[in-house]
Amino acid sequence: MTDHPLAAADDDPVPIRRGRALAPSRDGRPWTFYVLATLFTLYVIALYGPMVCIYILSFQDVRGGLVFPMRGTSLHWFVDLFTQVRTGDVKGAFSRSIRLAVVVTIITVVISFMSGLAFRKRFAGDSVVFYLMIGSLVAPGLVLGIGVGLICNVLGIETSWYTTALGAQLSWTLPFGVLVMFAVMSRLNNAWEEAARDLGASAWQTTFLVIIPILAPGLVAVALFGFTLSYDEFTRTLLTAGSLNTLPLEIWSMTLNVTSPSLYALGTVTTLISFVIIGVCLGTIARIQKRRAAGPAAH
Amino acid sequence: MAVENGSIELAGIVKSYDGTTPVVDGVNLKIPDRAYCCFLGPSGCGKTTILRMIAGHEDPTHGEILIGGQDVVGLAPVERRTAMMFQSYALFPHLNVRDNIAFALRVRGVGVQERRKAADAMIEKVRLTELADRLPAQLSGGQQQRVALARAAITGPKVLLLDEPLSALDEQLRVQMRQELRRMQRDLGITFIHVTHTQLEAIAIADIVVVMEKGKIKQAGPARDVYDQPQDRYVAEFLGGQNVLTGRIERVEGDSAIIVSQEMRDVVVPLGVRRTASIGDRVDFAIRRDDVDLVRPEIGGGSRRAKVPSRVRAIEYQGNFVKVILDKIGDDELIAYVPDRVFYRDPFSVGDVVIAGWEKEKTRMLA
Amino acid sequence: MESKAKGGRGSVGWLLILPLVLILVPFFIVPIIGVVAASFVQSDGFGGIIPSFTLDNYKGVFTSGLTYQLYWATLKFSVFAWFFSLLIGFWIAYFLVFHVRNPLLALGLFLICTVPFWTSNIIRMISWIPLLGKEGLINSALIETHVIDQPLDVLLFSSLAVVIAYVHQLTIFMIVPIFNSMARIDKRTIEAARDAGASRFEIVRFIALGSIFVVSIVMGDFFVVKVMSGGGSASVVGAFYEDIGVLQYPTAAASATILTIIVLLLVVAILRTVDIRKELTR
Repeated sequence: MTDHPLAAADDDPVPIRRGRALAPSRDGRPWTFYVLATLFTLYVIALYGPMVCIYILSFQDVRGGLVFPMRGTSLHWFVDLFTQVRTGDVKGAFSRSIRLAVVVTIITVVISFMSGLAFRKRFAGDSVVFYLMIGSLVAPGLVLGIGVGLICNVLGIETSWYTTALGAQLSWTLPFGVLVMFAVMSRLNNAWEEAARDLGASAWQTTFLVIIPILAPGLVAVALFGFTLSYDEFTRTLLTAGSLNTLPLEIWSMTLNVTSPSLYALGTVTTLISFVIIGVCLGTIARIQKRRAAGPAAH
Repeated sequence: MAVENGSIELAGIVKSYDGTTPVVDGVNLKIPDRAYCCFLGPSGCGKTTILRMIAGHEDPTHGEILIGGQDVVGLAPVERRTAMMFQSYALFPHLNVRDNIAFALRVRGVGVQERRKAADAMIEKVRLTELADRLPAQLSGGQQQRVALARAAITGPKVLLLDEPLSALDEQLRVQMRQELRRMQRDLGITFIHVTHTQLEAIAIADIVVVMEKGKIKQAGPARDVYDQPQDRYVAEFLGGQNVLTGRIERVEGDSAIIVSQEMRDVVVPLGVRRTASIGDRVDFAIRRDDVDLVRPEIGGGSRRAKVPSRVRAIEYQGNFVKVILDKIGDDELIAYVPDRVFYRDPFSVGDVVIAGWEKEKTRMLA
Repeated sequence: MESKAKGGRGSVGWLLILPLVLILVPFFIVPIIGVVAASFVQSDGFGGIIPSFTLDNYKGVFTSGLTYQLYWATLKFSVFAWFFSLLIGFWIAYFLVFHVRNPLLALGLFLICTVPFWTSNIIRMISWIPLLGKEGLINSALIETHVIDQPLDVLLFSSLAVVIAYVHQLTIFMIVPIFNSMARIDKRTIEAARDAGASRFEIVRFIALGSIFVVSIVMGDFFVVKVMSGGGSASVVGAFYEDIGVLQYPTAAASATILTIIVLLLVVAILRTVDIRKELTR
């Protein structure tokens, strides 16, 4: 594509031009590259910047305020967060959120996988279910929350974080999970299933010995979505959690009441947990992919 | 008491996906046990569909498929004692070579030790012992193919079905692997059905070549028969190496017809299949390219030979022979394969006028 | 699979999809029905409901000038958020696909952009305070470099702040589908005018997909607006959140029903212009 001027005549008046073109991979970046690269850098800074400010500010000492400049360094606010009663039931909220997220993750992975298989094989009314899913995805979370609350009122059921909130969160994570499964399964070659069948595997064996292992990275991705979406879920959980708060609800009430960096400390801790989960999931996916995509050995 | 018979019979096979256009349109064929049979044809001719129907991954709309004398339509692949090698190999990416090969045994409930042993024995057969612990992604194309073969063969099938097994390989490897497949087939002593669109490949390895077009079998038989004695224009052109020419019957003399066209006079062709040919019929006939010899006009030729004056349009050196492309006869190509040494005794140039000649017995009337 | 399981194939599909349906019905369909039902009853003013059928709630919503103000404000936010997240998201995706030479690096950078999506929204929102506030970093920096002498208070607790927060949160929804569709384009064929036309259409489909997320999230939001505007603006959802707070269930229900219908219509409209299902399952 690029003109290789190695054959250029010796009377080329500007040798520099030839030199640049001889190493196209190093030079030859259009000016748009630099503009876009700058944009990208600014975007990433803007993306992480605010959070980083919070993390830094959460390490202030007892004189700390909500804004810069930073006053001292200590773990004071972390301690404050977990010990002071006035900041609410943070430990309880943590525990509930994590337990709930684990349950949501497991259910989401299993149901998303099953649904992905179902859509792949087609069934009567699959368009209806598809739009049902999209509807559940785009419906305003608060509206669903109100609805659940009303129905529970009428039926005399009590809302709680491990029943109604669980369901409400699933109405959000499942569509995501199924969509991810769509993307993953569309790359799943039919040939593997046929080969398994050809070799005598039953449907169960094909699913457990072939499909699930091959889809493992995709399932880990669904798990990542399931966990983080549940762990951070707010609007749908707000009216369905009952009397005990999950962590996001706890954060919300702190936002409205608390004016100290203990809120930032909470932000730091919760984000740390998120990062750990993200790291574990992405790391697992990367490891599996690396093993399976290793280039052919020299024959 | 199962007879280990891998003979195959296809009777009246029709396959249509939408009920109107048949992908396979009435196929009848008998393949003897332990034969290496190649289905040959362009994409879309139905060869892969037939393969899949024999395997049990598709069912025919009509017709019967008998393997070892038993009608297998409706039976699952594993029940038919067939095994398939997929075009993409479909090796399980998460299992290493040994586990891939042992898979069929695993799903039958064979114990770990036993299946390891069986898999290792198979690995020996395909000569991949050092690579037993590698993942498919770490293997070359040829190695993957051998794993796919071993994986299919470990169940001791009566028939092994191969879907374009060599098309993913590069030229050199393809030629190498051809013999590997042949060797495996002899070794295992079972029927192989091999689908391909490469005619050289088919005639190189097959005992029986089945040429297909648009869902129908055009000709089936030993490779040499199909190549040397094609029955119609399609087969002749697909197998290559033939000139297929068209002309009009001017008169009939004994068992031969005298054919004329704008460019040809007095071309004698044995009637062969066209016993009922009459004067004025337009017919196709074939003459092998390597049976056509070229002489300069001054030299002339024997009286029992056809003589077609022509001009050299292009010359291609092909190593053992020189491909001389002459002026077309009507819409048909006329090409001569002149042995290299013969050509260079008196080489032609583009534009030279030559006489293309051949012996009448070498021509073949086509259906 | 073909012959034997043909009869069974349909029912296996239904069996597999049953769990999903069993969750979506009680937690999506039923609540919506509940809300719609509640919008037709009368409130007794004390948080209870008088069983009756009335259109008063709807009349109240439609005749209130506040409703239109709120919708106008929310729609404005939607459009601004959509526009800027599309603008930024498009160029980020473009950069990653076409300017980053190493595909692994591009993937890595892409993941870096997605990571914040997996952290808490609320935390990300409040983290604007030390940055945009009157005593925040940006203002301090600007003052110290003598660009301005008075801190800008339009950066936080304003409409601008709301849009900034939305764009910050939602750009990723544009990056992901656009990145996906661009990555599929064979870079070599970009040259061929023929294919460029086809691939442009592809991108539009994926932009539509991203827009669905952006629109539904902004229109359904109440806390970003509340916090980032400092109470200065409200949103439709925010309004009926307040109603719930004072136990005005039927009015809230009516408002909620109308909003849900509008959001669903918008999404359907976007889906109509492209065949999303085909795209996703390709």
